[in-house]
Order: sequence, then structure tokens, then C-alpha cells
Amino acid sequence: MPQAFAPEQTTTPSAPGGAAPLIAFHDVCLTIAGNEILRDISFEISRGEFVCVVGPSGCGKTTTLRLISGLMHPSSGQVTFEGRPVTGPRQDVAIMFQDYGRALLPWRTAAGNVSLALESLGVPRSERADRIQDLLVKVGLKGQDKRFPNQLSGGMQQRLQIARCLAQNPSVLLMDEPFGALDAMTRQALQDEVLSIVAATGATVFFVTHDLEEAVYLGDRVIGLLPHPGRVAKTVSVDLPRPRDQLSSRETPQFLHLRRELFDFIKEAEA
Amino acid sequence: MKGARWQGLVFPLGLLLLGEAAFAWSHIQSDSIAAPSAALLAGYDALTDGSMLQATGDTMFAAIAGLSIGGGVGLLLGLVLGTAPVLDRLMEFTIEAVRPIPSVALIPVALLVYGFGYRMEIAVVTFSSTWPVLIMTRSAIAGIEPRLIEVARALRFNFAQRVWKIVLPAALPRIFVGFRLAAGVALIVAVTCEISANPIGLGYGMMMAEQSLHPDLMLAFLVWIGVVGWCWNWTMITAQKRLFGPAALVEPAR
Amino acid sequence: MTGWRWFWRLASFVVGVGFIYGWQMIADAKLISPVFLPGPDRAWAALLRGFHSGILEPKLVGTVQRMIIGWLLASLLGIALGTMIGVSPRARKIFGPTLEFLRPLPSSAIIPLAIALFGLSEGMVLGVIGFGALWPMLLSTVHGFGAVEPRLYEVSRALGMSKLSVIWKIALPSSMPDILAGMRLGLTVSLILAVVGEMLTGRDGLGNWILLAARSFRAPDLYAGVILLGLLGYVSAQALAWVESRLLRWRAVAR
Repeated sequence: MPQAFAPEQTTTPSAPGGAAPLIAFHDVCLTIAGNEILRDISFEISRGEFVCVVGPSGCGKTTTLRLISGLMHPSSGQVTFEGRPVTGPRQDVAIMFQDYGRALLPWRTAAGNVSLALESLGVPRSERADRIQDLLVKVGLKGQDKRFPNQLSGGMQQRLQIARCLAQNPSVLLMDEPFGALDAMTRQALQDEVLSIVAATGATVFFVTHDLEEAVYLGDRVIGLLPHPGRVAKTVSVDLPRPRDQLSSRETPQFLHLRRELFDFIKEAEA
Repeated sequence: MKGARWQGLVFPLGLLLLGEAAFAWSHIQSDSIAAPSAALLAGYDALTDGSMLQATGDTMFAAIAGLSIGGGVGLLLGLVLGTAPVLDRLMEFTIEAVRPIPSVALIPVALLVYGFGYRMEIAVVTFSSTWPVLIMTRSAIAGIEPRLIEVARALRFNFAQRVWKIVLPAALPRIFVGFRLAAGVALIVAVTCEISANPIGLGYGMMMAEQSLHPDLMLAFLVWIGVVGWCWNWTMITAQKRLFGPAALVEPAR
Repeated sequence: MTGWRWFWRLASFVVGVGFIYGWQMIADAKLISPVFLPGPDRAWAALLRGFHSGILEPKLVGTVQRMIIGWLLASLLGIALGTMIGVSPRARKIFGPTLEFLRPLPSSAIIPLAIALFGLSEGMVLGVIGFGALWPMLLSTVHGFGAVEPRLYEVSRALGMSKLSVIWKIALPSSMPDILAGMRLGLTVSLILAVVGEMLTGRDGLGNWILLAARSFRAPDLYAGVILLGLLGYVSAQALAWVESRLLRWRAVAR
């Protein structure tokens, strides 16, 4: 049965492995130029967990992701990775941005964009070509290697970003509303793609979205944030069995119940 | 941004001080270069005795006259080519063939036809300032929202009304960008004419100072030409901002 | 579609030929004194004569060499300096205002200074071309670096790229359209300054040749030189446009 936890409750239910958390927020506050963005955020993410973050706009979803990535730093409190404070971006943490049009290098081909990640890892030139081909096949971009980003559809560009992330061999994937700008069909296909990739690699995922169904469908746990200032208001664990299926999983009573619960939460927040 | 202004002065002032110090310590007596302070004094003298202002007037007269004629021709041709696509296509080869001629290559031609003086300089400036206006006018008209033209059709405007009431106002901001570019070119070409051939104006004054071994006066002219160029440019940008708002400053790549 | 394109190309060529014919008519009718305006036939004959006698070729080569060497010099320096200023906001603050002041300065105005310092030498001409053509490239590089998509800097940080590889792989390619536009402008400036430099120093080249032709009233030679310079401007601009279209292929391709 789904369970709702009260705000500020930070226990991690059904954490696989049950060991020390991989990522942890300890009373994180963030104030930028006098604006309080986040207040007293605390939660933990276990290794291999798929955590989704939802909330009305302005609640700091993306900001929490950027804090984990090390692109931003908290004003007070701490974000830790494997028990140590995050100081900057790490090679084994990959970020996928929503605005694929701006996050890909327009002057490099699909293969060149994947290559960028390999180059920064110091993979020798002779090994790159094979690995690029493997990665492109894995994300369904076989034969598209010589095309430029602006020759690819939005969904394909996002696949390309996934390939670039995977090239890093990441232990953590940070995804910032990655499918927000895509049409429904493409979005579902990519959701399943991400699930199968995660199942195969065992990566930990932190997934920001504004789509409640998407959060429930993908996550092991859904964190709900409230705005002004951003704070954790609700944590819901999703005990839908895996592997999940676009049709049958979405029709189960648990799914509908969880969706209802989050929907009410958002409606209340926006009221 | 007071801090930024102050930082911007560090480099030029430091360079000047360094130059001054180098002269003070080494006691160089040179016919080719002078200390910043000497240039300043020479510039002050030339400004007060009127010779430099006279030269500035000559240069600006030629530049403005050439700009007016060239800008007018460019505007007219641009309007015609922009509103009549058939003519535009027919003239494509001719324009492509004439435009790449470097403006300075016409200095000897103008010299042959007009001899020394204003006319020769104005002719060369006219040629070179025609192009930016022509090109920008043509593309500005091509870029007009087609809906506006349809409006003009619906209102049964005749050709003159269409140009006067719709095309010109809609295209004016970009036409002015072309005009501003042409203004910059006009001054550059005028000074170049004077340096290489025509015995009037700032360029000639500078050349004379060099040849008569007055490096202080030469440097004063150089700085003064920089000041005049900067003011000219500033005037154009300010005029553009005033007339069309800051959005008009966005320039398309040429 | 392409058929029509060729039709208009041909038609505009015919119009161009018509203009040359008109020029011939005016010259033949002596509406303008042949001292000032020889017909295209005489200009063409002068051009051929110049090449046959072997006089014109070294002059053309001299001008082309000056233009290209000075331009390459300016490109290298301009892009390198622009990169150094572009990557550092601090350097932008310190040098920015000076650059803005120098930008409208007519580059030919430094010729007298260069003559005073270096005499009427080949190095002086190259120096002036290098200096004059430097500005468009410097300014466009600085501008290009300032306009890099901030998201790409985040991507580079997330990938842990070094400062040098961020410049090489992100900032420079992203600024390439601006840099190439600057190089195009720089090429025009190089040709102009090469011609002016030759006029003033008397070094062997087309600039000097046309000035001498004008002074000794050899109008056909003068027009032949002007035509050749126009051709040079055209060919160099086309060559660079071709390179540009190759390098910026990613911009042109549509879905």
C-alpha cells in the first residue's frame, strides 16, 4: 500500500541495500541575492534508487538537482555524496538538461557530441569510435552518427543527450525535466528507454519533472516540494512492481491512487 | 558601473605613463616619435591656432558630402531593387561585379578626373558609402512583414503611397543601420584619401607632420583623428538610439 | 527551381554585359573625354598587354602576397588576443574601453606613424595591414566569446573539462560564425591597406601601378588595374565564403 510521510520525515523506505545513503541533503538552505530559494531541505538517496521530484513551478526542483551536481552550492547546510560534501561536478555524475537545443554542441555531429564526454574522460582516440557506435545504438540512434543536432528531432536530440550521459559511465544520472518539451508518444518511448538503461546499469537517478504520472511511473520514491521558499512537503514511496509497463502499470489501482495523492498535493499547494 | 570605468582607464593611462617615463629617462631625441606630453602640447598649439580645426572641417565636409550623395544613391537604388524583385535579380551580376572594387582603387581614377581637392575625395567617399546603405535598404525591404504589404493592398494604396506610408517606416530602422555603417566608412575613406593623395584635411596634416619631422604634431593628429572618429561614431549610435530605440542597435552579420 | 535560378543568373549577366556595352558606346561617342574614360576595349587591351609584357604579373603577385600575409598575421594575432581577452571578464573590463575607442579609428591613419617608425619598407606595409585587419577579428572574437550559450559552459563543467579544452572545444567553435565574419571584413581591409601602402611607399604592386598610371594619364592602364583589383576583391571574398560555408555546414543544414 502506498504510504504518505509527513513533511520533514527523512527516513528512506525500502532502500535497496540499506547501507549508508549515496546522496544526502542536511538542512540545506539557499538564498540568492536576498531571495530565499530553498529552506531546510533534508533527504537522502540510496544507491540504485530512482527518485523523482515534483512540485509547482518555483519550488526549487531544478535547484536541488544543481546542488547535487555541484554546479551550485548551498548557503548553509550540506549536500554530501558518499558521505563527503559536494564541491564541484564529478565525472561519474551525468546531467541531462531539458533544453536539448542548447545543451548539445550544434557544430558537432551526433557522434562528435558523444565523443565530447569520452574526450573529457581521456578515452584514447582509437577506442572512441567503437564506443560511440555502441552508445548510439543503445539509445536508438543507429545510423544517425553523421547528422548534426539541428537535423534531428527533439526526441532524437534527447536520445543523443542520454548517449552523452551514458558515455560518462555515470553512477548517478541527474535528469532535469528531460522529456518536458517532447510529445506524448516520444516521451513514453524515452521513459521506457531510461528505465531499461537504469535497470541494466544500476545507476542512481534523480529525476525532476512536473508530470505527476511520469514521476509515479518511473520512480521508487517521489518527493514533493512546496514553493516560496522551496521545502520538502511530501515523500511518497512507489511500490509498483518492476519492470513497469506503459499500459498495465498505469492501470493498476496503486498507480491511480498515488497519482490522486500527488494531484491533491499539488492542487493544495497551488491553492 | 563606476569600477568598470576606472578599470578601463588603467591600460591607456599606464601606456601613456610608460611612454612618458621612457622619454624622460633615456633623453631620446627622435625625428620619428615623440613623448606623450610633447604630442599633447603640439596638439594644443594646433588646436588653438585653428589649423587643426580647419583640417577637421575639410575632412568632415568631404565625408559628409560624400555620405549624403552616396547614402542618397544607395537609398534610392535599394528602394528600387527592394520593391522590384525582377530588377533586383537582373542587377545581381552588375552589383556583384562592381561592389568588390576596393574603394581606394578609385583614388587614382578620381585623381585623374578631378585632380586634387574636395571633388575627388567626395567622389571616392560617395562610391564607398553607397554600398552599406544599398545593401541594408534592400534587405530591410525584403524583410518587411508581408502582412503589412497586404494591408497596403487592401487599402488600395498606389505605389508612392505604399513606399511612403508602409515600406519606408517599416524598413527605416535597418536602413539607418546601413547609414550608420556608411558614415563610419565615409570618414575612414576620407582620411585614407588625404593620406594617400589629396592635399587637404586631417590625413594630409598628419602626413605633412611626419614628412617635416614633427612627430609630436603627427601623434597629436593621430589622437585627434581617433577622437573625431569616436565622436562621429557616438553621434551616429546616439541618433539611432534616439530615433529607433536601443533594439535597433542589433546588427545583422554582414 | 534551379532552372529558374540559372535563367536569372544568365539574365543578370546579360544585363551586366549591356552595361559594359553602354560604357563602350559612351566612350566611342566621346561623351566623356577619353583621357578620363577609355572604352572597355582599351582597358581590356591594356590588361592583356600588361600580362603579355610580364609587367603586370609581379605587381599582382606582390599585392596578393601582401594582402594574404598581412591578413594571416592579423587573423592569428586577432584571434589569439581576442581569445585572451574574451575568456577573462577582468581583461574585458581593462581592455574593452580602449578597444572601443580604437575601433572607429581609420586604420590608414597609422600609416604616417608606421612610416616614421619603420620607413618605406615592406615590413611597414605588412605591419599596417596586420594592424588594420586585426580589429575586426579581435572585436568579433571577443564578441563571440561573450555570446557562448551559458548552458554549454555548464555541460563542460559537468563533464569536468579543462579550461583549455573548454576554449578549444566549446568557446572557439561557438564563436566561429563571428570570427569568420570578422575575417571576411579583415580581408577587405587587408586589400585596401595593401593598395594604400603600395601607393604611399612606392613598393611594387597594383596600388602603386594605378597611381603612376593616373599621374601619367595612362587611363587604359589605370582602368585595367582597377578591374584587376575588383577581380581580386571578388575572388578572395568568394574563396572565403566557400571556406565559411564548409566550416559552418552545421548551421546551414536543415532537418
